[in-house]
Amino acid sequence: MTTLRFKTLALAGVLAPVAFVFTGCASNQVRTVDSKSPQAINTSEINPQDWANAADQLVGSLLSAGPLDKAPSQPAILAVDRIINNTTQQVDTDLLIKKIRVALTQTGKVAVTNTMGLGERAVVAAEAAELDEMTTGKKAKVIAPHFTLYTKLIEQNQRINSVTQRTYTFQMSLVAVKTGLTVWEDEREIAKQSKKAVMGW
Amino acid sequence: MKSASRLLAGSLFAAGALATLSGCATNVNTVERAQSQATPDYVADKRVVTDNTLARTVRVNSVNQATVSGNLLKVQATLENLKNNPRTIRYKFEWIDQTGMAVSSPNETWKTLIVQGRETTTISSVAISPRAVDFILKLSE
Repeated sequence: MTTLRFKTLALAGVLAPVAFVFTGCASNQVRTVDSKSPQAINTSEINPQDWANAADQLVGSLLSAGPLDKAPSQPAILAVDRIINNTTQQVDTDLLIKKIRVALTQTGKVAVTNTMGLGERAVVAAEAAELDEMTTGKKAKVIAPHFTLYTKLIEQNQRINSVTQRTYTFQMSLVAVKTGLTVWEDEREIAKQSKKAVMGW
Repeated sequence: MKSASRLLAGSLFAAGALATLSGCATNVNTVERAQSQATPDYVADKRVVTDNTLARTVRVNSVNQATVSGNLLKVQATLENLKNNPRTIRYKFEWIDQTGMAVSSPNETWKTLIVQGRETTTISSVAISPRAVDFILKLSE
């Protein structure tokens, strides 16, 4: 009887830690990561690294080409045109545009107008201009942009057997307002392959 | 019968060795002008190696610089894959101002680069601030 009880206790002693190991601690483990680091999660969708990468390369290309230096006055006034999103993803295109705006503004060579296009506070800017007119009695002076920036996002999907490739294309064009001519354009592609598991759902 | 088995085993071993040695090589052959017309402004660089495996895999052959858009520093590094198969590396450019302070950028991120076997390629970045006078190129596997 004593032996049986001892065996039961010993078995329980062994099973308890094993069960603990397999079930693990019930609490969620959350850690903060740098969204732009190699440790960030990489999925087949456009992730923060992809946005930053595309923005960096497009800004580098725009600055290297030098069309902004040919503006009639400095800094060049830029209006952000609409962004066409032809991907299957519902994304906030500011993820790309804001990065480009910030980078261009930091160069000191560009001022982005908020009175037209996708100026992020265009409504408030317009109201402020109206208020200024009312208080001063003078028509607010709006500076016409020298350039407009047009962006398009495209997604292409290819599949062979269990491998799927998604190619995202970021196209950008800078148009001179006075002439309507495209003075710079470039595109960057990011291709991502994912493999579906043979087993599983 | 025994010798036939040995012959078969030997053949299989030889075939395997051949397959291993030839591998799925994707080395890159190049052709360029014999006398280069370019006159790069090379940067005298200082290197800190903490990953010897990476240093033996991908080598930075040179770093050159230029000024774009009037006063913005552009840096380009030429990398060479020393191995016979494609390698994936990550890199990041960071910028430093005159006082030694880091110049942050919203687009400063680790980028992925795939270099084919024995391929030489370039990576570059433009500083988004005229204050940037120095750079740090970080490489990781």
